[in-house]
Formats: sequence, C-alpha cells, structure tokens
Amino acid sequence: MAQHNLSNVVAFEIMRTVKKKRFWIGMLAMPLMIVVIFALVIFDNSHAKSTQRAQKNAHFTFEYFDQSNLIDTNIVAKLKGHTAASIQDGIASVKSGKVDAFFSYPAHPSKTATTIYGKDKGVFENGKYSSVAIVILQTSVQEKIGSAELSAIERGGIKSTTITYKEGVVAGGINALIPSMLFLVVFYIIIILLGNQMLTSTLDEKENRVTEMILTTINPTNLILGKVVSLFTLGVLQMVIFALPFIVGYSFFKSELHLPNIDFSHLVFDPQQMTLGALMLLGGFALFTGTLVALGAAMPTAKDAGPIFGGLITMIFIPFYAFSLIASSPNALIVRIFSYFPYSAPVTGMLRNGFGTLPLWQGIIVIIELWVLSAIVLRLAVRLFRYGSIEYSRKLSIREIFSA
Amino acid sequence: MSGAAPLVEIEHFGMDFGKKNVIRDLSFEIRAGETFGLLGSNGSGKTTTIRALLGIYLPTRGTLKINGRAFQPENGIRLGYLPEERGLYKKESVIDVMVYFGKLKGLSRDAAYKWSVNYLEQVDLSDKEKISVDKLSSGEQQKIQLGVTIMNNPDLLILDEPTKGFDPVNRRLLMNLVDAQKKLGSTVLMVTHQMEEVERLCDRIILLRDGVSRAYGTVEEVQDEFGSVLIHLEHQGRIPHSDKYMIIEDGESDSKLEVVGGANSADILRDLIESGMSISKFTPMRKSLDDIFVEIYGREELQKEG
Repeated sequence: MAQHNLSNVVAFEIMRTVKKKRFWIGMLAMPLMIVVIFALVIFDNSHAKSTQRAQKNAHFTFEYFDQSNLIDTNIVAKLKGHTAASIQDGIASVKSGKVDAFFSYPAHPSKTATTIYGKDKGVFENGKYSSVAIVILQTSVQEKIGSAELSAIERGGIKSTTITYKEGVVAGGINALIPSMLFLVVFYIIIILLGNQMLTSTLDEKENRVTEMILTTINPTNLILGKVVSLFTLGVLQMVIFALPFIVGYSFFKSELHLPNIDFSHLVFDPQQMTLGALMLLGGFALFTGTLVALGAAMPTAKDAGPIFGGLITMIFIPFYAFSLIASSPNALIVRIFSYFPYSAPVTGMLRNGFGTLPLWQGIIVIIELWVLSAIVLRLAVRLFRYGSIEYSRKLSIREIFSA
Repeated sequence: MSGAAPLVEIEHFGMDFGKKNVIRDLSFEIRAGETFGLLGSNGSGKTTTIRALLGIYLPTRGTLKINGRAFQPENGIRLGYLPEERGLYKKESVIDVMVYFGKLKGLSRDAAYKWSVNYLEQVDLSDKEKISVDKLSSGEQQKIQLGVTIMNNPDLLILDEPTKGFDPVNRRLLMNLVDAQKKLGSTVLMVTHQMEEVERLCDRIILLRDGVSRAYGTVEEVQDEFGSVLIHLEHQGRIPHSDKYMIIEDGESDSKLEVVGGANSADILRDLIESGMSISKFTPMRKSLDDIFVEIYGREELQKEG
C-alpha cells in the first residue's frame, strides 16, 4: 500500500503539472526562443555569405600613400589602385569623388594605425575599405618574407597541444572538465527552473486546505518523497526539452550555425570524477528540495516564504564570487568554507571536481555531508508538513517546529 | 450495542500547546457500529482530540488507539474523515481529485473512477466531472468532499462539524449518507455542537468543557445525569409542597414540576395520589441536550464571572 501510494503521488503530481498550460508555456518558451534565434542566425549567416560574395566581387577605386615602403606596387596594380602624390591629395580625391577610398600607410604600421578615408556607404559597407587596405599590407609583407608559413607564424597562427600527467597517466584536461561540469549545469537548471515549484509543492495542500484529508490517507513521508521524485522527473523532462534544439542544431545545422566541430570521442569520462559529480548532484538536489519543501510546510503562503527562498537561491551563486580561487587555490580559506558549508557545497564541490582540485577524501566528506543533511532535512520537512501544514494561516516558530 | 468491542480507545489523553493545557485528562471509548457524539463549545478541545486520534498531533500524555493501535494511514482500518477545515485540490478536475483520493484509499483506478461517476450522478453533478473544482459552487464542492470522505466505505467515519457551512440540501444529503453508512456497519464519530443532530443520530456522547469530560454515556444517561427531570401534570386539586420537587408552573389543572435531589418519579406520583389529588396525566420529561448544554456552559461561565 505504501509503495502503491508513493507511485500514486508521483503520477498525480506529474500529471497535474503536465496538464497545465502554464507548465508548457514555461517549458517551451526557452526552446522556442532558441529555435527562433537559430533560424535567425542561419538566415543572417546565409545573408552575410552572399553579402561577402557581393563585397568580394564589388570593385571600388582607391589611391594610397605609403610611408612604410612595405606596399607591393604589383599587388596594388592588380587591384587597380594608384599612388597619391601626398596625403592631402589623396584626401582631396576622396572628397571630390574622384576615387572611392584613400589609404594612408604610416611609416610604422605596427605602431601607428593605417588611416582610411572613403565615401560613406553606411556603417557596414564602409568596412570593405579597411579590409582591402589591411589585405594589401599583409600580402605585401608576405611577399617580402617570401614564405606563407613564416608569415602565418608571424601573424600568430601557431597551434599547440598540452599533455599533462596525473599519477603517471595522461590527465584528461579540458576533455575531462566538460563531462564532469555537466552535473553542475544540470544542478543549476533543476534548481532554477523547479525551485519555485519545490517551494509551492506543499503550500498547495496548505493553501487548498487539503492537508488533513491527505495526512489521514497517506503517510507524509510517502507524500513528500512522491513530490521530490516527481519534481526530479519533471526536471529531467525539462532538461531534455531544453537540450533538444541544441542537439538538433548541432546534428543538422552545424555549419549554418557556425558551431565548432567538437570531437566527442576525445571527451574523458573519468570514473572518479563522474561518480563524485553524480553523487554531489543528487545530494545537492535532495538538500535544496528538502529545504524548500520544509520551508513551504512552515510558511502559510508563497509570499511569506519568498525572502528565505531568495536567500537559498543566492547560495548557489555565491561560490562564483570566488571562482578564480576555487579553480586555482583549493586550499584558500574561503574555498574551504564554501566546500563544506552545506548550501554552497554542491556548487563548490562540483566546480572543484570538474577542475580536478577535489581530492577523493574531500569529495567523500562533501557527499556524506550532503546526503546525511538531506536525510535530516527531508525528515524535518515531513515533520513540518505533518505538524505545521495544518497551521493554515500562520508561520510556525522555530520552537514550535522542534517541540512538535 | 453495549457488548460491542471498542473500536476507538482514548485513555488519559492530555495535550499541551506550549504552556496552554488544551486537554487535561480525557478517557472514553467508541464501540464498533455505534454513532458517537463528541460535543463541546468552540475551543473545548474536540478537534484537537480528533487530530491526536488520527496522528496529526502527537499527544502530550496518554494513548489514543483505533482498532487496538495508534492510527497510521495506509495501515489497517478504512477511514473516512471530513475535517473541519474543508478543501480539495482546486485547480484539478473533479474526477481527477476523486480518483486520486480513491487510489490513495486503496481502490483501483477503475473502481475509483466507477464509484466517482456513480456518486456524481447521485448528487446531480455528472455534468461537472471534467471541470476544475474551483469552478464549482461551494455547495457543489461540499458534495465532492463528502463523496471523497465515504468512497472507501469506511469502517470508521469521522465527521468534524459536519454541517458547518452546509446549505440545507447538503445537510440532508450528509445525514442520509451517515444513515447509509451506519446501515453498512460503519462506526460514526460526530464532532459537533448541533444538539438536534446528536439527539437524532447518536447512540452515546461525551461532552467536553475546557479539555475535560463533563458528561459521558448514552443520550438518556447524560440527560438523567445532568438534566433534572420535568414532570408534566394534568390534575384536579392543589399540589402539596414537597422536598422531592419544585413547582415550576402551578395551574388550575395543568402544572409542571422539576424533580430535585434525585427523587424518583414513581415516588412523586405515589405521594401526589396519597395527598388526595386526582391525576389524569403524569408525564416525566427529560431536558433536551440543548438545554443541558446551555445550562452547563452558562452555569460555568457565570461561575467564572462570579
């Protein structure tokens, strides 16, 4: 019967949520917005390509004056440019409409900016003057160096690969960071999207005056657990729907969206990091859910619970104020405090786990802390719901909570 | 009825909220199959007793048992409880709410659905099956609440202020449902201060005042215990004075006496005849529960004020 009722609560809570238009509006608003943005990006990119092609084929007349002696006259000749007698002459030619543009190359182009004068063709189209002037300079310098590779190196086109070792084995680096950081992303999405629902899940019984009928029909532990399980299920559903446009966009419109080509085969799924990450995610979720459910049971309305709810949500962002220390100095005092203070521990722990600065023993302590505290808070939430939720229109005092 | 085993046993129950002593020392039992009235004015501890009996409150002292053990939902007895604070999931459809409660009470989905549809037909709400509860009138919501209370054919039906806020139509519906449940063998515990309902429905009662039992037994026993008996007399001849009664109304042929000092009605009749009176009608009458209730609470209020 108890197991049966747990599934009844889960089914009821999920169904009553997914039947609401408000849920789907909230759920689909973000993915739809992403789809619209993707569509606009694809449209703009194709438009930009045709514009670039048009610009590439578009000819404009120009003069130049070279104080650097770097400009190759052959290259300029191919582009049908001419030398101006002086800077003033070049400017005058533009002003009079004799030519479309005039480029004034300084004696030291690496230190002083090249000045470009042109007929105004609008903010975006004016960019073509600068592009052509710079291409002429770069190509001329490349000709002088006599090697395309040296020119590329000189321009900073150097690639490097770093291989590091951890306990004699090649460390995962960024490829190990991405999978373990996914737990943090999931945590944020669930708490931000469902936090309010967690808070109001027990307020619903209270505000509808249905608590007494429920408490005499179902064990409150089953009711609270059912609500937590349904919230987690809804969170997973929400994440799948959120991720869908990205997956579709990456799979079918990668080039149109100019998305980087990620080689997923290089991702490193370190068993220790993944296990710690998953356990911290579940512990953090249970702790925040339990706390919000308890808060809902202790407060008469969502409005009364608002300030504490805001404080709790702030706690998941606080660790980012010490982001650089968390990433680089795990032994700093503030990082230690954030690592063990229950409501900042999930985010700090998952960040450190991703960066590889969370030793196994510390990870285990954080997980035990989160899970034990979650169990205590969930029991407290059940107690509060049992004894506090029939106080329909008043807040419970701390003393009443513990003396009930 | 008197031989039936107790379904509810409350022994030396006490309840404190902080320093406030709400229930002092309360003991009573409810026998299987009977209709029991838990009576008292507002704040006398009736709802607190019910909540403690159902495990919603932890008792400060004493034991409260249903069917021999502390009540646990999902474990054992079929319970129907209509609390004083009424409510349903207002944003859900009528049928969803009823089926959900039916499932929580142990019915299969199909059974809960069929029962709900039948009940909605009975109470003329079959066209409201799919609309949300908050779209119903308060009278219609009361009908749904009643349905949810009895849908599992409860062994023990607890009704806390059952007619509070009910319109006359729903009050009659409720009473018919209570009668029907009694015929089906349910034990009924009514928490109320509506004495007419108690006199009509209850086999036994307990009367609470400030968390203490002031009367306990069958309605007649309580009337005997608390209400002095009135005697309606049709006679010829003058009524003699006696220490066994007080003359309330002294008419030519129609008078009323109030029995005092626990005197026996038969002894009074004999004394009157022996005094030479001609008695054509001698009718002992008990005071109504309503009179007793007012007398007890009024007297105690006066004592407090005094």
